[in-house]
Amino acid sequence: MVWPQLSYSFDYTFGVTNNAAAFGNTWSMTPQYLGANGVDGMEINGIIYQYTAVKDKEDDFTVTVQNEKEGGGYVFQDKEDWSQKYGMTIRKSFALPYTPLAIFKEDGGAIVTTGTGSVVNPQVVYLHRFNRCFDPQSDPNCTGYVTPLPPKPPEFDMYDALEDEFVEEATKETDQDLIDKEEKEKEESEEKEEEEDLEILLAVGDNPLTMGDDFTQSSIIAQMNAALNISSYYAAKIPSIVYNEPLVMKEQKSLGNSKRILRSLGQDQLHNQMVEAQYQ
Amino acid sequence: MKKLTITLSLMLAFSPVLAENIYINGDVSSRCSIVQDTAGRWGNPSANVLTTLPASGGQVPIIRFDYTLANAYYASISTPISFSSSPSLTDSTVFTGVVSVTQTSSSDQSGYQAASTTPAANTRQYGLTIAGSTWFSATSVATHGGGNNTPFPSGSYTGIVVASCIAM
Repeated sequence: MVWPQLSYSFDYTFGVTNNAAAFGNTWSMTPQYLGANGVDGMEINGIIYQYTAVKDKEDDFTVTVQNEKEGGGYVFQDKEDWSQKYGMTIRKSFALPYTPLAIFKEDGGAIVTTGTGSVVNPQVVYLHRFNRCFDPQSDPNCTGYVTPLPPKPPEFDMYDALEDEFVEEATKETDQDLIDKEEKEKEESEEKEEEEDLEILLAVGDNPLTMGDDFTQSSIIAQMNAALNISSYYAAKIPSIVYNEPLVMKEQKSLGNSKRILRSLGQDQLHNQMVEAQYQ
Repeated sequence: MKKLTITLSLMLAFSPVLAENIYINGDVSSRCSIVQDTAGRWGNPSANVLTTLPASGGQVPIIRFDYTLANAYYASISTPISFSSSPSLTDSTVFTGVVSVTQTSSSDQSGYQAASTTPAANTRQYGLTIAGSTWFSATSVATHGGGNNTPFPSGSYTGIVVASCIAM
């Protein structure tokens, strides 16, 4: 007997936000003001506000509590005209259809006043429900949760000290005398090579065979060197060791029966005849 | 009389039905409700005084009136003039009380206090002319012993604030 199992998902939690006006007469619709649930997944369905209007009865004074709408306009706006009235503490509540937080302009919460008077002890709270599975990846128990792939291993930048400008700077030669000396030696070497090349060029017209001799002699020396290098392998002697058989069989006679030996000899003879028959 | 009744019954039993009572039912839900917003508590700052003032360890009771009709009701609130329960008292007790509007749901209700009346010494009555909700506070002070400052006997004391909606 199989009983059908029903499963229900209670993804919503209901609650009231923190006092959005706790830090002043303007607020943003963010977790900083609304509490931890003030993120995507929150849907607001009510607003309760309270404040005390401090004013003289004769003064004109208006107070507007509002939430601007993303893209223009207002999600909520309520104006109270205290002109020619006694200052008083007021508390009002409003119902809204469930409105996603994204509809509210982030920095659009405000208590705006005009005229002479002030607002003290303002409190603005939002009734809401929160869908913790708005992002299914936020909880493994959410429908649609996909097990994430393991993270890629971090890529490290290999440090090459030879390319480190600070290392180069630190190892830079600082002994000016030594630098000058090296440069001087280098210059002298280059000058000497130039002089030798010049001498050779000047000698080409007078004695061209000298250059030919140099080339010929160089090739002969190279061949001699190659021969020497190879001959060393031919002349090499590889040392060897002779391992003598230490086992000596003292009794040299066969232990088989005589008939079997005779049969074996007969087979040998027959074998020899067959081999010889191939050459006849 | 009893006999006549029986005769009438017999006649009805043999006659066709000539009349029937048709009932009309209806319910009226209150357009004015009273809710205790905050319970009251007396503090005892001195031996012969009980007071709801927070500075003296008391708590002022708050009553909320919710009414959906304008100009239909009076809110009447009375502070205690006697203990509803207390230890046996050997001396007289003087009660004083103050009722005031502490909070409204509309700035148009801000004139309620100024327009209120006192039909009795311990009672204040407000004309609820603007539909909505209004919160009232009722402070109460009880002083025992008159000029002798006789201490209250130890025990539990209870007083009652009576709040009511009265049709205009």
